[in-house]
Amino acid sequence: MTLYLLQICLAGLAQGSLFALAALGLVVIFNASTVVNFAHGAMGMAATYVAYVLITSFQVPFALAFAGAIVAAFVLGVVVQKFLLGRLQGAPVLTQIVVTLGLFMFLEGILGLAFGYNPRPMAAPITMGPVTLGGLVLRPQDVVQLGVLLVLCVALAALFGATKVGLGMRAITENPYAARLMGIPVGRVLAMAWGIGVLLAAVAAMLAAPTTSITPNMMDTIVVYAFVAAILGGFGSLIGALIGGLVLGVVVNLIAAFLAPELAMSIVFGLLLLVLYVKPDGLFGRAMVQKV
Amino acid sequence: MSKNALVILLVAACALLPLVLQLLGQRQVYWLFVVSELFILAIVAVSLDLLMGRSGQISLGHSGFVALGAYSSAILNERFGVDLFVGALAGGSLAALASLVLGFPATRLRGHYLGIVTLGFGIAVDQIALKWDALTGGDQGIHLHKPVLLGLDVATPVRMYYVALVALVVVVLLVWRLTGTRVGRAFAAIKDSEVAAAAMGVPVARTKVLAFICSAFLAGIAGGIYAFLAGFVAPEDFGIDSSLLYFAMVIIGGMGSIPGAIGGAVVVDAVKNAAATVSGLSLAILGGMIVLVVLFFPGGLKALLRRHPAARTSVAERRSVAVAQDA
Amino acid sequence: MLEAHHVTVRFGGLVAVSDLDLVVPDRGVFALVGPNGAGKTTLINALSRVCPVAEGTIRLDGTDILGLLPHQAVRAGIARSFQRAELFPTLTVLENLLVGLHAQMTTGLEGALMTPATRAEEKAARSRAERLLRELDLWELRNASPADLPYGHQKLLDVARALISEPKLLLLDEPFAGLTDAESPRLLACIAAAGKRCAVLMIEHHFELLEGIAERMTVMNFGRKIAEGTPAQVRADPEVVRCYLGTGRAKVAEAATC
Repeated sequence: MTLYLLQICLAGLAQGSLFALAALGLVVIFNASTVVNFAHGAMGMAATYVAYVLITSFQVPFALAFAGAIVAAFVLGVVVQKFLLGRLQGAPVLTQIVVTLGLFMFLEGILGLAFGYNPRPMAAPITMGPVTLGGLVLRPQDVVQLGVLLVLCVALAALFGATKVGLGMRAITENPYAARLMGIPVGRVLAMAWGIGVLLAAVAAMLAAPTTSITPNMMDTIVVYAFVAAILGGFGSLIGALIGGLVLGVVVNLIAAFLAPELAMSIVFGLLLLVLYVKPDGLFGRAMVQKV
Repeated sequence: MSKNALVILLVAACALLPLVLQLLGQRQVYWLFVVSELFILAIVAVSLDLLMGRSGQISLGHSGFVALGAYSSAILNERFGVDLFVGALAGGSLAALASLVLGFPATRLRGHYLGIVTLGFGIAVDQIALKWDALTGGDQGIHLHKPVLLGLDVATPVRMYYVALVALVVVVLLVWRLTGTRVGRAFAAIKDSEVAAAAMGVPVARTKVLAFICSAFLAGIAGGIYAFLAGFVAPEDFGIDSSLLYFAMVIIGGMGSIPGAIGGAVVVDAVKNAAATVSGLSLAILGGMIVLVVLFFPGGLKALLRRHPAARTSVAERRSVAVAQDA
Repeated sequence: MLEAHHVTVRFGGLVAVSDLDLVVPDRGVFALVGPNGAGKTTLINALSRVCPVAEGTIRLDGTDILGLLPHQAVRAGIARSFQRAELFPTLTVLENLLVGLHAQMTTGLEGALMTPATRAEEKAARSRAERLLRELDLWELRNASPADLPYGHQKLLDVARALISEPKLLLLDEPFAGLTDAESPRLLACIAAAGKRCAVLMIEHHFELLEGIAERMTVMNFGRKIAEGTPAQVRADPEVVRCYLGTGRAKVAEAATC
């Protein structure tokens, strides 16, 4: 029984790594620009179509196509920030939600128009079969997902801890006005934050693609769970998003195994409602005080 | 022409539509259904605008309330043969009850959290409707008996058309009246400044919940009527896609305005029907419109309509007032 | 009569108001003065129950008000204006005032049905609002949006919105801030008139303005009361002069030691 449980947890962690990656992207964007990017999943999904076209029409090898996708994602993030959100600096929260939702609809629609809703397969270049370790079955794709998450977490930590850009982002989060006065190029930093955020979404999408195949709504489920993970983490804490994503992955898989897979999202939202009732700012969040 | 006269003219035109269609020999059944559906969508739009535009809350899962209304009607009608009036009211009541559950946490949540939680609500209702097939028929859905309203047989397209039209008119009247009285003002107050509203004696949290309840009730009624109109409900009629459509209606029409909401419903429904055969097209168009509206036409249709002669009185009145002040 | 004793307000580690005593009689205009950050707005927030009080008691006409929630303050007779007006731009000027009567009206959802009771209540409320608007010479603007009004009128409307509920205690947070010399007299007259009907406690920086209208002043600095008395008395108080008013550039350097 415990072996079964461990197996589920493993699968949960693997799936959770996708939630965590997307959630990290959401939080990076939110920390810098205070915008919740409702188009997050759609933007990541768009990047996978870039990879798909590169592979099928230009015979580009997978690794290069992957790189192409994440570059495209970065560019998309920068473009969206500069030409869309940038114009709405200081607009009320609702406006920003509306615009990213509109973007979400637009992207899904346009890609549905261009490529149709039939799933496009994306084969992962993993030739190794599953490995059994002490009774536990380890699928290579699970290991890859967790591995990529780990690598990116380290990279993010280095970025925010040690580089000028990362420090700039942290400064902007704390006090955008002072950051500007200190000479931090706020516009550039915001663009970078969006670029990195969408890049993370694209990584999650590319990792998911071999399993879900590429469709305009492939990221819908993942991004919804990413929102929940980000909220649980307080929508400001990167570590919170990371832990939230992984924990959520395990929870979802446990629900699917022992209750009903079709109700997983409903149950998760029910739990979220409970958590938020007790802690309206998330588990790790800081309360925002309104000054009168 | 005054605004009121314009409204009466519009209602009269709608009332005469079946006759016109008959005279023109057009596909009466088809068009009557399409416009009836539009009236119901307009009710949903008005309900969502009351919540988002007037009260400043967010609901990304409004299809959940509509679904609750529709399924209430369908289940009660299929099993107990209830008529349209009872079904719709039951639907509205169930939706209102559900909004209570949603409303309380809502009072503590800021913008995006509320958006995500309401999104989850819409998803949850959809998933439960699909899963609980003993009650809802699962993906097979529920077929209703022929619609009856308070003893009157309304099973024809023309009669259902008038039922939908009358329902829309009644809802619009109620909401419009509400906004002109104490509760409606309280809704606007909590949207504009919660602190000031509280200082005036408005119980902010309770008022937010009330806004949810009113909005959900109306959306549930819309769903309840829709069940009888279509004669059939299934999970695919609801879900995220529908929620996004309702959202688009309110944004494109202009928030905080009943005519705006109705106008938005007309536009969105037109796009949806026109682009129905090409998958992704309506989504792309509506998404694009939303982005354009936010960037360049923040008031939506309503703001564009301000240039219309019928609206000119109020604008001119305001301008002259402001000018007199500077003198 | 307002009686606040040993009031302390803390935000985490920061003590915004410290051991403050304040008594405000039933009628008259009283001023709360002090440099920025002295805790004046925090005290007003505490009195209107917007922020929690860590220690102390506050009573209005003998009734303890510390247990009140923010929206219950107006029912107890405490109304306020805001530093930044905080008007409702969605509503007209008239409707803004009507919200001020929210606590005194009872129409609920039945308003959608326009019952005779609703109609009667609306009518009564509107005539009250009309009276006040005419008094303040704002009647012509009743259908305008507050956003379209000049700033002076906005501040006047903010005060009117608090006045309409006929409070026992009117709290005004820098009502003259941002007003031009041309706009001030109207607001001054309004506040003076209000002072004859109820107690007005106003935060203000313009000493000259206050000297004509306030009968007593309380001076705060760093959360504490440092002086109290008539404007003349306060003006002469050495502590106030040192910390707040100053008498020249040399004194400013000395004031830095406050």
